[in-house]
Amino acid sequence: MAKFKNLDAAQKRSRVYYIASFVIVVIVAILFAFPLYWIITGAFKSGADINSGKEIVWWPNAWVGDNFSKLMDKRSAPLFEFVIGSLTIAGPTVPAAIRWLVNSVFMSVASMLLTCLTAAMAGYALAKKRFYGRAVLFSLIVCAMALPKQVILIPLLREMNALGIFDTCWAVIFPVVGWPFGVFLLKQFAEGIPTEMVEACRIDGANEWRTFTDVMFPMIKPGVGACAIFTFINSWNDYFMQLVMLPSNKKMTIALGIATLQGESSTDYGLLMAGAALASVPIIIVFLVFQKYFTKGITMGAVKG
Amino acid sequence: MKKLIAMLLALVMVLGLCACTVTNNSTPATDAPVVDAPADDATEAPAAPAATTEITLWTYPIGGWGNQETVDALMADFEAATGIKVTVEYLDYTNGDDKVNTAIEGGSAPDLIMEGPERLVANWGAKGLMVDLSDLIDDTDVAEINPAALNACYGEGGAVYEYPLVMTAHCMAINKTVFEAADALQYLNEETHTWNSVEDFWKAVDAVYAYTGSQVGSVFCGGQGGDQGTRAIVNNLNGGTFTNAEHTEYTWDSAENVAALQALVDCEGIEFDAGIVGGDEIAYFYQGQLNMAFCWNIAQQLNPNTADTGAGLTVSGDEILFMAFPSDATPQLCGGIWGFGIFDNGDEAKIEAAKTFIKYMCDSEATADAVKAANYFAVRDTAEGADLSGIWADNEIMNEYNKLMPMLGDYYQVTTGWAEARTAWWNMLQAVGSGEDVATAVATWAATANGQ
Amino acid sequence: MANKTVKVSKTTRRLVVHENIAAYLFMLPFLVFFVMFVLYPMFMCVYTSFFDANMGVADDVFIGFDNYKELFNDPIFWKGLWNTLIIVLVSVPVTCVFSLWVASAITKMPVAATSAFRCIFYLPVVTGSVAVTVVWKWMFSKFNGIINAMGTSMGLLDKNIDWLGDERFALACIILILLTTSVGQPIVLYVSALDNVDKSLVEAAEVDGATPKQAFWKIKWPQMMPTTLYILVITTINSFQCFALIQLLTSGGPNNSTMTIMYYIYYNAFKLYRYGYGNAMGVILALIIALLSAVQFKVGQEK
Repeated sequence: MAKFKNLDAAQKRSRVYYIASFVIVVIVAILFAFPLYWIITGAFKSGADINSGKEIVWWPNAWVGDNFSKLMDKRSAPLFEFVIGSLTIAGPTVPAAIRWLVNSVFMSVASMLLTCLTAAMAGYALAKKRFYGRAVLFSLIVCAMALPKQVILIPLLREMNALGIFDTCWAVIFPVVGWPFGVFLLKQFAEGIPTEMVEACRIDGANEWRTFTDVMFPMIKPGVGACAIFTFINSWNDYFMQLVMLPSNKKMTIALGIATLQGESSTDYGLLMAGAALASVPIIIVFLVFQKYFTKGITMGAVKG
Repeated sequence: MKKLIAMLLALVMVLGLCACTVTNNSTPATDAPVVDAPADDATEAPAAPAATTEITLWTYPIGGWGNQETVDALMADFEAATGIKVTVEYLDYTNGDDKVNTAIEGGSAPDLIMEGPERLVANWGAKGLMVDLSDLIDDTDVAEINPAALNACYGEGGAVYEYPLVMTAHCMAINKTVFEAADALQYLNEETHTWNSVEDFWKAVDAVYAYTGSQVGSVFCGGQGGDQGTRAIVNNLNGGTFTNAEHTEYTWDSAENVAALQALVDCEGIEFDAGIVGGDEIAYFYQGQLNMAFCWNIAQQLNPNTADTGAGLTVSGDEILFMAFPSDATPQLCGGIWGFGIFDNGDEAKIEAAKTFIKYMCDSEATADAVKAANYFAVRDTAEGADLSGIWADNEIMNEYNKLMPMLGDYYQVTTGWAEARTAWWNMLQAVGSGEDVATAVATWAATANGQ
Repeated sequence: MANKTVKVSKTTRRLVVHENIAAYLFMLPFLVFFVMFVLYPMFMCVYTSFFDANMGVADDVFIGFDNYKELFNDPIFWKGLWNTLIIVLVSVPVTCVFSLWVASAITKMPVAATSAFRCIFYLPVVTGSVAVTVVWKWMFSKFNGIINAMGTSMGLLDKNIDWLGDERFALACIILILLTTSVGQPIVLYVSALDNVDKSLVEAAEVDGATPKQAFWKIKWPQMMPTTLYILVITTINSFQCFALIQLLTSGGPNNSTMTIMYYIYYNAFKLYRYGYGNAMGVILALIIALLSAVQFKVGQEK
């Protein structure tokens, strides 16, 4: 305290400002974390705790698993399904919510892999190759980036029907891969790589593909990582496309499944929180484990993009 | 290590591809430009003739037909009897229509759909998407099926787009325990389940409002779910109608309806809630936050609620009394008629299989089970010689509820432009609830409904 | 001599051809998806907008600009446009200012605290739009929502309010939820931008007697300009795309007070079956967004 007195007015002011802003940030942070807290505790609350009306139950009076068992009993579906020829191999029957999780993971991973691969190749070509139509293509890509998917929803739906992939995961994955953000990002990365390196490799006699895999790809790896993170989160949360493209229970993702549950029992908040917890906790764990890479990826994407 | 990861990823992708390939063999198999081997097998697979024995059924939550266990049992019986495998999808009233509509546009409409004439006949049937079921209905069927119910299943030109299975009358409900405490039971007749008069209905609402100090009933209008309830209360209060008798024009802009809506707006105990739909209203009623529900029928009365305290009781154990809507004349209750329709997907074999299904569920010895699963009344007394009149004989609640059935009113949900009209209805309620002048709002939206 | 020139140009041409083929081969996988699932639908969208396309009608009828004419006379379309603009105009500046403030506050803290806070503010983003929406729906619920419960028990509210069903509050609630899910990324970006500010410049300024405020606006802020610009662009795109919130919470209601163009397209397509009309709306929306992006890009380049 005595120390505080010795400071001059300006320093005092800044010290007070520092403490005040710390307090405010803490309060705001609590508000931000609250919905997540409410999901997780809500998932374990009994019906009485949830519908307590005016009395707020901050902490479950008893931790019950009813909501989860209700969620699991609601619908069932095979864990996975192969169709090879006329042979269908179905996995063991599991609660539909588990299948939804499997679908979500598959769709996000597939979108991520496909996007990274196609975007790295296209980004490299756009950055390092001189070819006819390059300028036109690039401006098309930039324009398409800002376009919301809802705009092309109806034609896309008709197209998926014509291709016979409506109500399959590909109807959701392909438009994600076609979305040009990844290309834009990786083009910026590839531009940062000195052209001499690419040329040196060519002079050494490597063919185009070797040049890409051995020289280009390792050097834009951080960019590919950023692209992977973006695509993964985006397609995990790509609720709109899933809603339009996947009507049947077996094909649903966890996000879509929770939204559907909400339509069926819109005030059974315990059940909905159990679903929300199931949908969010896995990805939050992934986020916490790879936190460093997430922040790195996000910032890198911005700096280069 | 890296190679291992790459291999694993590739494996995951290939497996997933299979997982996502359409199981339905007659639908063109997935084309997969990116992944290889097993996918090719799938594409080359000839459409097996066995595919005809597999059909899809999408059902709205019609009593127990929204419950997977109940339906699985019915489907297992059906498969055992006919060898036809039925894949079932469950729809809800919030997103179900959108889902069917996207599926139609996406070329994946189901073979069979279970719902009422307002969707099957007035909407998809009128759009030419459904199969005419006239050949399933012979003279015996015409004699056996409730004429009003059957009548609602006819589309333009005499085509039948729905084969009815069950029916009920939609009603309202009150929390009897609370009404008793508020001394409001004097305004109604518990025996006949009717209100003494419209005036007494308002008195009862006021009494309960004065007693509890909180909202009594809700004119819910967050969406179309349960909208027959809000229409019924408005129409009954002053003897208004929703459409003309010929079902050619929407008449909810009549003076009677405007006055009824105004009375609802003015009533302190009743609020317009654009944040909730019929299903939410039922839930809040069960939980005791509302003491009156406009979206009610026998299925709710038989449902032992979420806390499982028993049929006809709220979560806290209060007694629930189902009631006809308040009216100074005979109440006109809105009917619910549910049955099956077939989407015309152009595959004769599947249509045949779907017809076999309808015959089995609606007109055979198995009909009793199908009706019981729905928790509603059968639309016919006999099916292929099997007596259906007695299936609810030992169920007291069902017998009691039978008192309401003679009050079934006009089934107006088959008027042209129904899908647009019902959307206009809840939008109109939202406008009224937001304080817009009732007469203006009603005029605007009724004009929309009439396609002007 | 002449011979040689021909030879060289031949090699050059061969190289050019080779380069072109290689480039297109590299572009090919992406182009397949891009053309099939972005460009072609975009084209079809414009094309169909000139037709009276409906569900269940086999042949679409060409009606020229009628859909567009109707659009300009459709009050709900204007309402939706207006709401969309409100969402963008409120959420973009608020997101930027708020995240800049939070970022500058938490960078002054110890490293552990910085990363902890950064993580907390990013949580709603990873939680996913549907899960977030569902929990907010409960919190805003008229009868068992925590906001009403707290409001009434603290005496702030006379009676429970139907937050999402009340014309006065619904849009504000939507914007609030949108904000909580959109500040995560900007905060992460600003934190790293503040870290990367050239420290020697700041120190030099302080030696010259600049106040922290001056140091911030004169030195740090210009250096963060590219980040700010990027944040503006992504937040604008995000705000335009806000769909799950509307669809799951209000369906555009009450009385169209939360109707956005995005939801109105969906509504026309799947509730009214008017594909052509919905597409016309999509075209207008795309034009508006293109215009906005162009302006932002221009402004960015000038800076």
